Amino acid sequence: MALEDIPRLGCGRSIDRIWATIDRPPTAHEEHCEQCQTARTRLQRLGEATRLLRQSDLHDPALKPRPGIKNAIMDVARAEVRRGSSILLRSADNGTTEISEQALSSLIRIAAAAIPGVHSRRCRIEIRSASLPGEDRPSGTTGTTTTARPRLIVNLWVAAAQGIIIPRTMEALRQKISNALPACVGISAGTVNITVEDLYDV
Amino acid sequence: MSDQSFKGSLITSRLIASLATRTTLETPGVLRLEPTIQGFLARLGPAALQNLRKPGSQDGTYRQNGVPATISDGTARVHLDIATDIAYTALDVAETVRRRVRENISHTGLTPGTIDVTIVAIEPHRRATML
Repeated sequence: MALEDIPRLGCGRSIDRIWATIDRPPTAHEEHCEQCQTARTRLQRLGEATRLLRQSDLHDPALKPRPGIKNAIMDVARAEVRRGSSILLRSADNGTTEISEQALSSLIRIAAAAIPGVHSRRCRIEIRSASLPGEDRPSGTTGTTTTARPRLIVNLWVAAAQGIIIPRTMEALRQKISNALPACVGISAGTVNITVEDLYDV
Repeated sequence: MSDQSFKGSLITSRLIASLATRTTLETPGVLRLEPTIQGFLARLGPAALQNLRKPGSQDGTYRQNGVPATISDGTARVHLDIATDIAYTALDVAETVRRRVRENISHTGLTPGTIDVTIVAIEPHRRATML
């Protein structure tokens, strides 16, 4: 909305500004300005009507959601977060297979949780994909298969427990992630960069 | 709707969505199908779904629990968003789902088209050990 489109009173004050401060005491200007006083009175009536309607809706049995509706909404919301952006794993005449970055991140966190003395924090996954037609065709499939063979670059930030031998522990973590990705997803880990950004007391 | 008649029977996109849903959930390694906003609204009621639809989207697509299935020129296409068990290799699970859904679609007399699978989550099964 352009500035000149904002509805203003004759005194120059915007209606929006009066509405935003309707619950506060009037300013020095508003105490003496007849137009502002009229606007405040009318807006207070509107505010009261809105409040009453809201209260009425809260207690209206016809507007009560069915049982389980909140859980269903939360399930959808969580699924939408998990969807995020996806990585193409396989493409063929009979369909594609993709994986969400969130699924990979969760898997990496689960792997990290298995290493004592490591708390995973942020995880970012970069993809360098190179399509290779006709390679790695799974048994039982027909038609042209293109395996996207994404090369993953996993960047994981962790906090380490004080007293652990960091290089050895991080090597174990890298190994865990490198084993988990082929076993649980079916793709190789590529590069795993780990940054120890903090220490925590055990 | 672009329902296809075949040998005196009527195969609807709704049936294909239902078939794909059941086949997917029966595949070892699949924990669940992920819900979608449109699937959720479809469960709330047709009016809610209608509000979300754009004019012209009545293209024979039907969603059963968030699974969109389309029939066009005798070919059925399906998109599946799945969560897989961490004890299984997700890529293999997706491939098995695709193969089984294609088989079951072919039993209806339709030609199986693209079966796109997105792995939205990989999680431990409730009683499974971690990695």
